[in-house]
Amino acid sequence: MPVPKWLVVARNEYRIRINSIRTIRPYFPYLVIALLAVYVAFIAPAVVSLFIDDLLAFFLSQVALAMVPIIMFIIFFYFIILPITYTLQGMQAGQVEIFLAAPIKPSDVLLGEFLGVMPFYAIAITVMAGFFTAALNPLGLDMLQIAITVIIFVATFLSALWIGTVIAALVRTKFAKSARGRDVGRALSLVLALPMIAVMYAIMGGGLLEALADPGTSGMVRAILSLLPSSWGAEVIVNFASNPGNIGAVGFETLTRFGGLVAFFVAVLWLGTKAANRAYSIEPTTFTASRAKPDGFFYRTVRYLGGGGSFGTLLVSVFKDYGRRLENLSRIAYIVGLIAMVNIFFGGGFDDPEAALLMGLFLFPFLAVLVVGQVTAGGKESLFIYKKTPFGVGRFVKARLLQGWLVAVPIGVAITVVSMISIPQTTLISLLTYTGFMALIVAANVTLALGLSLLNPEFSENTRTQMFGLIVNAQVAMFVSLGIFIGSLIVLDLGFLNTVLLQTVVIWLLGIVFLYLGKRRFSRIE
Amino acid sequence: MKILIRTDRLSKYYGKGGEIKAVDELGLEVYEGETFGLLGPNGAGKTTTVRLLNCIIKPTGGTATVNGYDVLKEETDVKRVTGLLAESPGLYEKLSAHEFLEFMGALYDVPGDILPERIDDLLKLFGLYDRCDYLLEGYSRGMKQKILIAAALIHDPPILFLDEPTSMLDPRAALMVKDLIKGLADKAGKTIFICSHILPVVEELCDRIGIINQGRLIALGTIDEIITQTKTKTLEKAFIALTGGVEDKELLAWREQKGAGA
Repeated sequence: MPVPKWLVVARNEYRIRINSIRTIRPYFPYLVIALLAVYVAFIAPAVVSLFIDDLLAFFLSQVALAMVPIIMFIIFFYFIILPITYTLQGMQAGQVEIFLAAPIKPSDVLLGEFLGVMPFYAIAITVMAGFFTAALNPLGLDMLQIAITVIIFVATFLSALWIGTVIAALVRTKFAKSARGRDVGRALSLVLALPMIAVMYAIMGGGLLEALADPGTSGMVRAILSLLPSSWGAEVIVNFASNPGNIGAVGFETLTRFGGLVAFFVAVLWLGTKAANRAYSIEPTTFTASRAKPDGFFYRTVRYLGGGGSFGTLLVSVFKDYGRRLENLSRIAYIVGLIAMVNIFFGGGFDDPEAALLMGLFLFPFLAVLVVGQVTAGGKESLFIYKKTPFGVGRFVKARLLQGWLVAVPIGVAITVVSMISIPQTTLISLLTYTGFMALIVAANVTLALGLSLLNPEFSENTRTQMFGLIVNAQVAMFVSLGIFIGSLIVLDLGFLNTVLLQTVVIWLLGIVFLYLGKRRFSRIE
Repeated sequence: MKILIRTDRLSKYYGKGGEIKAVDELGLEVYEGETFGLLGPNGAGKTTTVRLLNCIIKPTGGTATVNGYDVLKEETDVKRVTGLLAESPGLYEKLSAHEFLEFMGALYDVPGDILPERIDDLLKLFGLYDRCDYLLEGYSRGMKQKILIAAALIHDPPILFLDEPTSMLDPRAALMVKDLIKGLADKAGKTIFICSHILPVVEELCDRIGIINQGRLIALGTIDEIITQTKTKTLEKAFIALTGGVEDKELLAWREQKGAGA
């Protein structure tokens, strides 16, 4: 009897995900199960015991009534966007053609893809469920309540994962067939995380917990969240915490909420399989090719700033290639959004201009890396174009540096100005002084980031691989800034202005050195 | 002679009102055991035709049968009797060659007791047996092409669709693939449908050819018949005569502009 097709796809998907640990593949499931058993039996209770009083107080408090649904919603949302982001980052339509040419139903492909990745998400679900049950256990929950709690976690998050898998397949069908679509997909993959970061920042620094302690506010939040299936299970869990060992006291609520959740799980499974036929197609969705407009004022200015002539033309070309990739623009949107949220949720207490600049100092290296961190879009082939031309690599590096400055410095200046003018103590002199310093620091960070990315260029077209390289470079650049800051302001006590001055000089020096080394390394790549 | 592939006014239109005619009322017949070549310039509709005949996309109009199965009503049966080497296929780069062929075999329901031996045989045939445990991401383009041809053969289908089968291969590998195609046609009696714009490959392998341009079939017959029809001496000349080309006098016109020779 032939193996069910969904099992074939699931096995394949599973193999792909664990390809990096192929040597221990036969033992991997047993290893994971054993580790999870140890976690559930010993580690989770031990960790929980450290904060048991706080946790019990939390579960019995007014805050928990709204907070647990919020936590469940964040994780629910995360499980939805995770498969979508994964798909958007590495979309390939070719693999869809393999399935379409084979005698397999789309619903089997969808189910197989879901089941193939499920074991990895099951690990995360077990960790969360283990923690929650360990935290609730001291309240005296009976076996039925604990079992229902575990089922709630499984049903809630597997529903989210299934929804995410179905949307991911639909999104792949929509975007993967054209270069433009793949670019849109990669751009979306980054900004999708922003709403979740906003909620997390609101909890950490935005006073959300304090607001939820107010019955009026928490009641309103609960009313909104209760519309979402992620909250139905959360309400049951909070009810169990208030009525341990007495499921009868909350029997009706448990029946309706838990029953609703199970019905929702079944419904999304059914709807997903119905949507499967739409999720696997390689029919072109558009025949509109993007067209370039004649150069306007902006590009004419860039050409002029590049000295006109052939270098000006080269700079404009580099700028166009950068600006026409939505992925690059989404990276800028991401970092600007991040800085805005930091200011909104953590910036309320700033009472002097220097404090308002702190976040910028630490996030500008990240901005610089996101702007110039990927120097080899188009793979090695584009590098060889420059290597073939006279002084090509040097001119390419110069053009990328100028382009990086022209993008990052205005953003840095705008962020600095906006951050400072909201502080009443800011004077015109301090505004101009710090804005000037910040512009220099951003320019230095761009130089450093470009040098780092030239030293370790990433030729892969895969967004996941690129992002890994970017994050490594961002960490290096950020630690440089952080190191100088701590050394100067805290250890040497040089004061804020001197720290900014020192930071400017040191990052410039490091940037020049790294850029020189990077250019040399880049020229020698074969 | 039994007709294995038949299309009747098969069409695939895109865009508003169907103004883009990827395939336009295609009518052709391919006989059992025949090696048929579909030629055409880039964007002529060759790949769309192959996708229609493999039930990967649905026609806008007309019908087609493959091995007697209707592409609209008997999709699964059509897929079982065909093997496809797609023009730009997606490989699972994180699988080894052996794992990928195992996956493809399972998709096509190759029995478990036959599959391992068949995978080994195909890997040996393509000279990749020693590298069967290497991940496909480390393979060269030519090696990937060989794996994809092996994947198309894994369920031993009676009909093979090969879209640009030798385009990425070095001369030695291309020769091997051509010999394999000849062997599959002559000794195994397979019906082979080749899409290509590499004329020598088509000349060498195909019993009959069709030339498609802008979605329409503009010539059909043996190579000699097409050369005779177009009153030319070679297939290349016949192809240019049918599909249009650049006049000799236009080829260097760009040099006559001022400063172009700098």
